[in-house]
Amino acid sequence: MKPDMNELDEEIRGHMALSIKERIERGEDPEAARRAALREFGYVPAVRDSMRRVWYSRCYDEAEALARDLRFALRFLVRAKGLTGAVVVTLALGIGANAAIFSVVRSVLLSPLVNRDADRLIYIRQTALGIGTENLTFSVPEIDDFKSRVKTIAAFGDFSTVDFTLIGFGMDPRIVKAGVVNGSFFGVMGLRPALGRLLNASDDGPGAAGVAVLTHRFWTTALQSDPAVIGKKIRLGPGVATVVGVLEPSVPYPEETQIIANVVTSPHHLGATMVTDRRHRMTELFGRLATGASLEAARAELQDVHASIMREHPEAYSARAQVQLRVTTLRDQLASPARTILLLLLAAAAVVFVIACSNVANLILARSVRREAELAVRAVLGAGRGALRRTLLAESLVLCAAGAMLGLMLASPLTTVVARYAARFSVRALEATVDAGVLWLGAGLAVVAAVLLAYVPRLPAPDRAGGLRLAGGSARMTAGTNRRLRIFATIQIACSFVLLAGAGMLVATLTALQTANTGYDMRQVLAIDVPPSATGVGGAAALDFFQEATRRIGELPGVQGVAAGMVVPWRDPSSGMKLQFAFEGYQPADGEENPTCRFRLVSSRFFEVLGVPVIAGREFTDEDRNGSELVAIVSQSVAQRLFPNSDAVNRRLWWNSLGNGQPRRIVGVVADVDDEDVVQKPSMTVYHPVRQMGYATRLFVRATGDPYALAPSVTRVIREISADKAVERPTTLEDVRAQVLTPERLNAFVFSAFGGIALLIAVVGVAGVLAFSVSARTREFGVRMALGSTPSQLLTRVLKEGAVIVTVGITAGAVFGYVLARVASTYLGTTRMPGMLPAVGAAAVLIAAGVIASLLPAARASRVDVLQALRSE
Amino acid sequence: MLILRTLQWGPRHGHGIGQAIRAQSDDLLRVETGSLYPALHRLVRRGWLKAEWGISEANQRAKYYRLTAAGKAQLARESDWWSQLVHTIGLIMNPEPNKE
Repeated sequence: MKPDMNELDEEIRGHMALSIKERIERGEDPEAARRAALREFGYVPAVRDSMRRVWYSRCYDEAEALARDLRFALRFLVRAKGLTGAVVVTLALGIGANAAIFSVVRSVLLSPLVNRDADRLIYIRQTALGIGTENLTFSVPEIDDFKSRVKTIAAFGDFSTVDFTLIGFGMDPRIVKAGVVNGSFFGVMGLRPALGRLLNASDDGPGAAGVAVLTHRFWTTALQSDPAVIGKKIRLGPGVATVVGVLEPSVPYPEETQIIANVVTSPHHLGATMVTDRRHRMTELFGRLATGASLEAARAELQDVHASIMREHPEAYSARAQVQLRVTTLRDQLASPARTILLLLLAAAAVVFVIACSNVANLILARSVRREAELAVRAVLGAGRGALRRTLLAESLVLCAAGAMLGLMLASPLTTVVARYAARFSVRALEATVDAGVLWLGAGLAVVAAVLLAYVPRLPAPDRAGGLRLAGGSARMTAGTNRRLRIFATIQIACSFVLLAGAGMLVATLTALQTANTGYDMRQVLAIDVPPSATGVGGAAALDFFQEATRRIGELPGVQGVAAGMVVPWRDPSSGMKLQFAFEGYQPADGEENPTCRFRLVSSRFFEVLGVPVIAGREFTDEDRNGSELVAIVSQSVAQRLFPNSDAVNRRLWWNSLGNGQPRRIVGVVADVDDEDVVQKPSMTVYHPVRQMGYATRLFVRATGDPYALAPSVTRVIREISADKAVERPTTLEDVRAQVLTPERLNAFVFSAFGGIALLIAVVGVAGVLAFSVSARTREFGVRMALGSTPSQLLTRVLKEGAVIVTVGITAGAVFGYVLARVASTYLGTTRMPGMLPAVGAAAVLIAAGVIASLLPAARASRVDVLQALRSE
Repeated sequence: MLILRTLQWGPRHGHGIGQAIRAQSDDLLRVETGSLYPALHRLVRRGWLKAEWGISEANQRAKYYRLTAAGKAQLARESDWWSQLVHTIGLIMNPEPNKE
């Protein structure tokens, strides 16, 4: 229907032909006729345009003009390689970082769970903040009470974890973490099998057959997705279970496990303690809302029931513990720990984006000043302000689109890095991928940047007479442009300062943690997990095994000493192992309870092997065994706090607060070591000789040379003694600490990376601004030199300008950062203010960077040749 | 209106329309080609004219414009309006003597 351009042209040609023919028929000569016809017709393109405009709206014109401008811009930018490269890379960093962080934020905080009706799936938790326990978990009697009384929850699923030695699938014996669940667990969680079936009500109770479901990750990584695993029998600790299915990929919560089995597989779960002791808490509780019940209703009912349970059983809930019930959807529970860190990261990414944009704005602004002449000519020739803006918009669109594309290419690897990092806080981060949503985000950021950038340069006033005169000369700085350039550079410095100070704070914390003295000999001691074997736990056999293993490993070349214990410092969860002790000769003050101390079992020579000094008395020997005198060793804190004025050695202690039962004689005092927290605090610990009670599960080997070189021979010796013993995770204490500190290190790394990017961009920015300002003021410098300024005076002058930008930026950054931290702390609760040192350090780095950035342009200013400078206009 | 009028007796091409207006007005009215073609296209767009390709006297493809039914109605409306306008203006310019 709409005629296209060819059609319009043809119509005009037809008209011309007729018109010429008519004139020739009237007797004019052909050439004159042609000219007359053209004259009569008028300006052909204008007519054609107005014909076209009948059909196509103004938008079309604009779009066409923009397309023309885009082509023009593309050609122009290909020529200006340096500028284009700088802008594209800067924007790509900004957009890439934002896209990566956004991907992770979305998968953690925004995307839905695979669980069916995830908003009706709730997570119930008992907290005891009074004794510092965020998650008290539940005991079986408590869960039974909830099941019988609560109406707003359709079904409860319970989940607890047990370590099993797994033998089967043709693999070496290995320790697996297993979830032990009731039959309704998977129904409550709303999960489906990927293969086979999941557990159901028929798997409940002590009479059922042992069955296990493999988690998807275990199945795919350890078993290469072998579909034949269904129906296989495996040995799980003392029992046997049949693999009935594989769980679909889902978020593992509360803990990542390799298998999930029914209750009958775990003898502990069938024991009397588990079933009847209200204080034996180890189970996590989930629920699915009953039809028509809201989360609020369920929360209210659960808390009512919980309050009445607490009234009925006061012995299980001490007042000091402040036991409370928290009810949230699983979704919120999964997101909450990651929220703070992710929002911080998002803020950091946004700051990087601001820096990137302001740097690009600077580059564009500087260039547009050089182009002022060109723009002025165009304005004088009749280009409207709209047309000029359109040209600028086209250029910035091309730049930003290129930046966005590169940024999105960067986003994918960045996402992997950030996801691995965020997985420490929320398992859901691993699901993060770069997809369409992120592409839109990238495109959106690019458009925002493009529009902002197009409006940065000042347009020449078309009516100004000076417009054309400018066209002849070289670039000049107007005060306004100069100010804008400086403002952008200052913003960059300010933002960089905030990031650098933050990164500095994290690095300082990390360094403090990594270099702190822990009291252990970190380098030479190899810690090895030797969990209770499949053949049974504890007893004389286990003790004999350790005795034999210790002796034979001790004979290996390169071994200086061997000891056994129950806790690898920092690696093993040990917060539960505390007891109240009564001490001879220590009377608690009124209202004070007997001291609670950590309770540890160690073998003879333990302190020697781990390098912990014995301060008084002696260490355990092989003679401290069953049948000999009961003894104990206490840490320095115990001795100092309880017996500040006398000797603790030879006093007696009981491990219950009433002071009855069998007394133990304190035979030694050792230095404090904190095996729960890498940040060492004074710790009250009471050590018992392992041969007088219980058994050990961890071996410590002190090597003369490289500890890791001993690992294979140690494993071989253990296997020789007991073929189905699992031997796991041989690691030096130093590496254990490094693993524990991984999140801190990642924090520091990510923020340092952001800070580094910001610093780099800011240095380029400051250098660019000064370089431009110098080159635009060549004449001024020439005059100054002609009037007697020395080159070094000019050098100082330019350096001073750089210093002013940096100083103002740092000041602004300090104020901004302070406000930001204040605002953040009201929303996020806990934020640590950076100490003086990181802030001063960041400032020093920035000032140094600023001076270096100004050196190059300053040197150029000082080398200005007077005559050339004066002639250059 | 003038364009519509020239097409009353059959389809013509753009140049022909221009010539017709010129001839019929005794050379007093010359429609600028620069205005004529956009005007033609506006009329086509409003649905009063229909354009189709044909062969002109110069043996070249040319676009012929034809009145549509809507165009005829519009012409009638505009003619009426014009006659009325002329009549009214005539009344004012040459007041009828018997009214004095």
